[in-house]
Amino acid sequence: MIPLPFYLVIAAALFCVGLYGALARRNAIAILIGIELMLNAVNLNLVAFWRYIKPASPTMDLAGQVFALFVVTLAAAEAAIGLALVIAIYRSRDTVNVEDVDLMKW
Amino acid sequence: MEIIVFYLFAAIAVIAALGVVGLRNPVYAALCLAVVFVSFAGLYVLLSAPFIAVAQVMIYAGAILILFVFVIMLLSPPVDQGEGALKWQKPLALGFVGALAVQLVLVLALAVLPSARGSLTPEVIAQRGDVQVVGAALFSDYLLPFEMTSLLLLVAIVGVIVLAKKR
Amino acid sequence: MPDATTLYLILPEITLAVFGMVILAVDLIWRERSRAALAWLTVLGFVIALATALLGWGWNMALFAQMYVVDTFAIFFKLLAAIAGILVTLVSLDYLRDRTPYRGEFLALFTFAVLAMMMMASSASLLMIYLSIEFLSYMSYLLTGFLREDKKSNEAAIKYFLYGAITSALMLYGLSLLYGISGSLNFADITATFAARNDVPTRIVALVSTALVIAGLGFKISLVPFHQWAPDTYEGAPTPVTAFLSVGPKAVGFAVLLRVLLTALPAFKNEWIALLTVISVLTMTLGNLVALRQKNVKRLLAYSSIAQAGYILIGLVSVNLNGASPFSGLNGVLIYLFAYLFTNLGAFTCVIAIENATGAVEIDDYKGLVKRAPFIAALFVIFFLSLAGIPPTAGFIGKFFVFGAALREGFLVLAAIGVINSVISVFYYFSVVRAAFFEAGKDTAPIRLAPPITFSLVVSAALVLVMAVYPEPFFNLAAWSMGMFGVAK
Repeated sequence: MIPLPFYLVIAAALFCVGLYGALARRNAIAILIGIELMLNAVNLNLVAFWRYIKPASPTMDLAGQVFALFVVTLAAAEAAIGLALVIAIYRSRDTVNVEDVDLMKW
Repeated sequence: MEIIVFYLFAAIAVIAALGVVGLRNPVYAALCLAVVFVSFAGLYVLLSAPFIAVAQVMIYAGAILILFVFVIMLLSPPVDQGEGALKWQKPLALGFVGALAVQLVLVLALAVLPSARGSLTPEVIAQRGDVQVVGAALFSDYLLPFEMTSLLLLVAIVGVIVLAKKR
Repeated sequence: MPDATTLYLILPEITLAVFGMVILAVDLIWRERSRAALAWLTVLGFVIALATALLGWGWNMALFAQMYVVDTFAIFFKLLAAIAGILVTLVSLDYLRDRTPYRGEFLALFTFAVLAMMMMASSASLLMIYLSIEFLSYMSYLLTGFLREDKKSNEAAIKYFLYGAITSALMLYGLSLLYGISGSLNFADITATFAARNDVPTRIVALVSTALVIAGLGFKISLVPFHQWAPDTYEGAPTPVTAFLSVGPKAVGFAVLLRVLLTALPAFKNEWIALLTVISVLTMTLGNLVALRQKNVKRLLAYSSIAQAGYILIGLVSVNLNGASPFSGLNGVLIYLFAYLFTNLGAFTCVIAIENATGAVEIDDYKGLVKRAPFIAALFVIFFLSLAGIPPTAGFIGKFFVFGAALREGFLVLAAIGVINSVISVFYYFSVVRAAFFEAGKDTAPIRLAPPITFSLVVSAALVLVMAVYPEPFFNLAAWSMGMFGVAK
């Protein structure tokens, strides 16, 4: 069986790559994509923990898997809301670049 | 054998993730994201969680990614042009993420996480059918979060339509 | 499976869920005719939720496989949520009429936002915390960007969204580490794990995840350095939504922070106290200093509310539940939040009343306000006195208990910094009052007040004053609400 830290390191790597994408890009859609990567990394963490660790009680037998399912669902809702906001802002200003969205001072 | 498959999926996932962040054209980035999603599904199968693997492909690759591609096509945003006014942004982000990465690796290397299994071994799960077990849990122990999420999806749809629909 | 007791205890949540969907349905069927009626239906929903929340008073039950706790602490915040819901709905009536045709959807989203607040107050599992925080966040993003033709509203929403999504992903990673260490999502199991395992690796993992969780909640509460979204979002959002964001998510954000830190991570008290002390000082000081140079009243109140979060954090840092001292820190946080709710909502209601009549939100536009609207000008003074913590107002009582707890715990420097900051804050609050009272304005047309706005102004102002003159019931309320923590210790 593959040791647990292997999965955790992959998840940590993807999380950091996603975070870098979210922080370094200026295109709102690119930032959103980075956030999706981060959520995926968390899911890998959750499922790996579920597979390897001892649940504290029988009701927690499936906790990691179920948590991961909810994260997937909420990621879908989050993407939809984020893209709707992007569309709204594109309609009013013709840009998706966060830097150009500067009517108010950051 | 197992370890080879693991390295394969892991390598593909990391390379594709670098592509997601590195490629300037948003369409390419989205396609790389699809590769990440699918290789993650492979890792979930290795972790004997086929239900999550299927959900991953269906929801992430099937729904979320399509949404991204639609919006990218709809708006056809210009390709991200290198440096802008925020020159300090990238080094700052890199420094911050680097610090976090070092920290996480240290944590994961140091942490002696317990690896004993609970009552549900993969064999038991395979016997009872993964989908069945998770489904039963969703409608019993996790009833409240389940109902709450269904409400959340309903209102999120309403709100998104208000924001995005045509005049 | 839920039984009758369970359903009885979550009646307020059920009420709001039903009302939210009924509002959507009624809006769909009647469209134009029903608009005003819908707002009253929303208020009715909040009133019923308020009453049913009180039914659970005195219970201490963990429901749904220990994930959801109904105790007096949760009920305290449910009352806050319902009251904030009523007041914000009343003041949003006139504001929305000219600005958006989708008022039914607005009210439904708002009802669900209050529902999410209630669920946050009761969450006692990593999963429920994540879900309810995201629920509230999604509703907040949508409400912030609700004026889709308004460029500032769009911009406020996208900035809020991007900050929120990144910090919530960070928090989620922290939650996954907590699950990995304890093998459980429930706070009781997590506490037990940390009580049993005290080795260095476990502590390091726990500290990293604590910091990540504080990042996620710090965003909701707008603590420095997770505050950058707040000024822009507060300025650009529809003003009733700004009023809501400045009190609602902040209050329940503190509720979750208290519950997580005190019931899941008490083993790391020294560490999180050190971290939060630094954050508290930064938050107060930065909020107040930047507020000094603001010209837009909404922005000024945004920085003021950042600073207020710093003061409240002093109470959390000074938590000490041993002994029978009246300064437990925790009661300071609760009293402060209660006072802050009415004070800040009142201040924003004044801003909305003026914006409805004149469309103006700059301090310069407030010149000569005392001639045009003496009532609003007078109330502004009361609310600003309370925000600055000057007696005889509720804000003074809140600060008294928070700073008192810091002194009791020996955090003299922290208390001193808090007092200095309060003095600084007097300057910018006074700049608005000076414009309103002592400078002549160009416009002299009197400002008319709509009855619902007058009502919520009077309620807020009355409570701000009553809390200062006759504070005993509020002390008792806060003392009862801490019951759970007394047992859990």
